[in-house]
Amino acid sequence: MTVPIAAYLALSLGLLVLGLIGVMRRRNPLMLLLSVELMLNAGNVALIGFSRQWDDPSGQVFALVVMVVAAAEVVIGLGLTVAIFRNRTNLDVDELSAMKG
Amino acid sequence: MATALAWIVLVVPLISGLVLAGWPTEPPHAVTRVLGVGSILLAFILSATIFAGLLGNAADDRAFTSSAFEWISIGGVDVNLAILVDPLSVMMMLIITGVGFLIHLYSVEYMEHDRDYRRFFACMNLFVFAMLLLVLAANFFFLIVGWAFVGLASYLLIGFWYQRPSAVAAAKKAFVINVIGDVGLVLGAFLVLRTLGTLDYGEAFARAPEMGAQSGTALAICLLLFVGSAAKSAQVPLHTWLPDAMEGPTPVSALIHAATMVTAGVYLIVRCHAFFDLSWLAGDIVAFVGAITLLLAATVALQQVDIKRVLAWSTVSQVGYMVMAVGLGAYASGMFMLMAHAFYKAALFLAAGIIIHALNDEQSLDAMGGLRKYLRVAFFGMGAGCLAIAGVPGFAGFFAKDDVLSSALAYGGFGMFCWVVGVVGAFLTALYMFRLLFRAFFGPGPDGGYDPTPHPSRWWMSVPVVILGILSIVGGWLQVPFGWRGLDSWLTPVLGTGAEIIEPTHTAEVITIIVSLVAAFGGIALAWWLFGADPERRKRLAGVAAGPLRVMGDAWEFDRAYDDLFVDPGREVADVMATKVEPDGPQGLITGTVAVVRGASRVVSASQSGMVRAYTFWMVLGISLAGIVIALVLAGTS
Repeated sequence: MTVPIAAYLALSLGLLVLGLIGVMRRRNPLMLLLSVELMLNAGNVALIGFSRQWDDPSGQVFALVVMVVAAAEVVIGLGLTVAIFRNRTNLDVDELSAMKG
Repeated sequence: MATALAWIVLVVPLISGLVLAGWPTEPPHAVTRVLGVGSILLAFILSATIFAGLLGNAADDRAFTSSAFEWISIGGVDVNLAILVDPLSVMMMLIITGVGFLIHLYSVEYMEHDRDYRRFFACMNLFVFAMLLLVLAANFFFLIVGWAFVGLASYLLIGFWYQRPSAVAAAKKAFVINVIGDVGLVLGAFLVLRTLGTLDYGEAFARAPEMGAQSGTALAICLLLFVGSAAKSAQVPLHTWLPDAMEGPTPVSALIHAATMVTAGVYLIVRCHAFFDLSWLAGDIVAFVGAITLLLAATVALQQVDIKRVLAWSTVSQVGYMVMAVGLGAYASGMFMLMAHAFYKAALFLAAGIIIHALNDEQSLDAMGGLRKYLRVAFFGMGAGCLAIAGVPGFAGFFAKDDVLSSALAYGGFGMFCWVVGVVGAFLTALYMFRLLFRAFFGPGPDGGYDPTPHPSRWWMSVPVVILGILSIVGGWLQVPFGWRGLDSWLTPVLGTGAEIIEPTHTAEVITIIVSLVAAFGGIALAWWLFGADPERRKRLAGVAAGPLRVMGDAWEFDRAYDDLFVDPGREVADVMATKVEPDGPQGLITGTVAVVRGASRVVSASQSGMVRAYTFWMVLGISLAGIVIALVLAGTS
C-alpha cells in the first residue's frame, strides 16, 4: 500500500508549524536550534514525499544535502551558543539586542 | 629639413624649462645659466639656420608643414599636432628667440640676488616655448593652446614676487582680462570650424572666400578673433592689465610685455588676414580701436612718474600703431613695426632695468636725474631707444612708423583719420619719451644726491643693452622708402598680392616723412623746453592744466569705471546671494531634505527592536500573507 502524498504534506506541515511556534515562543537558543532542525526536517519529509510521488530520486538527494547543511548549521549554532553563554552566563535571545535600531 | 629644425627649436626651451622646474633643489647658478640661457641661444641659432635655409629657396617654396601625430579625430574634426614654417612664423621665431636670448642673458645678472633664480628661468623658458608654439602652430587648436600657455607664463611672471600683494593683484587682473580674450578667440575658432569645417590654417584660409566678401559670418569671425587679439595686445578697452603687469621683474616686462607676447594679437590678425580681407568693416573697426588706443595711451604716458609705467603705456600706444596698420590691411608695415618695436622697446626696458638695479629698485622718475654721468650703457640704450621710438631719421622707428603712416594715407578715406591720429601720436611719443630721457639722465640729481652712488652694470647686462641699442639704430634699414622693401617681399608668399593688401605710395611717403619729422622734432623740442632746459619749469606749469593732467594721470579713469561697472555690482550680487538667497535657497533645500529623511527613519527604526523572535514572527507573517495572495491568484487564474 502506498502512502498518499497528502499524508506526507500533512506531516511536513505539522512539523513546520511546530518548528515555527518553537522559534517564536522559545527563548533558549538551544530550543531555538532544535526548532530550526524540526523545520528543516519538515522540508525533508516534503522532499521525500514528492520524490516518491514522481518516482524521481533527486528529491532524496536534496534531503541528504539538507541534512549535511543542517549538521553544519547546528555546529555553528552550538558554537555561538557556547560563546554567548561564556560571556553572559544566562541564555535568553531577547537580551541579545545590541543591534537595536 | 626646415621643419625638423623647427621641432627642435620648439622643444628645446620646453625641455630646459622642465629640467629646471623639476630640479630637486635650487641648482647652482652656473647650471641655471647654462640651461636657461643656453637653450634659448640654441633655439636662436637653429632659427637663424632655418631662416638661411628658407632664403636659399625660391619665394614660393618657403612654406612647410609638418605633423607629428594625430591629436584628435572625431566627428569630422581632425586636429594634428602640426607646425607651419613659413616666412611669417620664421620672422616671429627670430624675434622671439633673438630678443629672448638677449633678455635671458641680461636676466643672469639682473636676477642674481633673487632667491628664486631657478624658478625665474624655468618660467621664462616656458614662456619662450609657449610663444613659439603660438607662432608655429599650423591650426587654430594649437594656436589656442600656445595662446593660453603664454597667458599662464605671463601670469606666473607678473606674480613672480608673490610676497607683494600688488604683484599678485596685477597677475590676477592680467589673467582675468586675458581670459576674456581667450573666450573671444575660442568662439572665433568655433565659428571657423562651423562655417568652414576645419581648424587647419591652410584649408581654412583657402576656403575662406566661400563665406563671401563682406558677409556677416566673416565679420563675426574677424571681430571674435579681434577680441582675443585686443586682450592679448592690450587694446582699448581691454588694455588696463598691461601697465599693472609692470609689477613683474624688468626682464619679464621687456620680453613678455613689450617685445613678444603683447604683439601676438598683431601676429594673429596678420596670420588670419584671409578673413580680414573679406570684411573691410572688420578691418576698419580694428584700425579704429588701434588708433584710439595709440592716442589714449600716449596721453597717459605723459603723466606717469614710474619709469616702467611710462614704458608700459608707450607699449600700449605702439601696439596701437601696429593694430591700426594691420586693420587697414598694411600687414607688412604692421609686422615691420612689430620687429622694430621689439628692438627698441626691449632696449628701453633693459636700460630702465639697469637704472632700477643701480638705484636699488627705485622706479620713480622723481628720484632720478643726471644719471648719464653714472650709467653710460643705460644712457646709450635709452638714448638709442628714444631716438628710434620718436622717429628720428635713420633709426628703426622712423622707417617703421613712416611705413605705417604712409600706408594709412595710401588707404585713403578712413585711413586719413588714422593718419592724423598717428601723426598726433608720433608727436606725443617724442614728447613723453624725451621727457623720460631728460628727467632720468639730464639735469640735477635728486635732492641730497645719490646714496649710494649708482653702480654701473657688468657685461651680462651691458652687452644685451648695447646690442639692442645698435639694433634699434640699424634695424629699420630692412625697408626703406623709395628703396628696397625687404620685409614686404619676404612676407609676400604669406600675404599674397590681393587688392586688399595696402602698401604705401610714393606721394604718401613724401607727405608722411615731412609731417612726421615735424611732429618728432616738435615733440623732442617741446620735451627739452619743458623738462630738459629748466627742470623747474614743469613744476611752474603743472598748475596750468591740472584738471586734464589729473585725468591723464589716472589713465582716463578706466580702472575706476571698471570697478563701478563690474567689480562693485559683482560684489553686491555676491553679497545678496550669500546673505539672502543662499540660507533659504540651496542651504534650506539641503537642511529640509535632511530633516525629512531623519524624521522618516526615526519612525521606521522603531521596528528594529533587536528581538530575533519578533523578527521571525513578522517574517512568518509576511511569508504567510504572500503565500495566501499567491494561492488566491493561482486559484483565480485556473
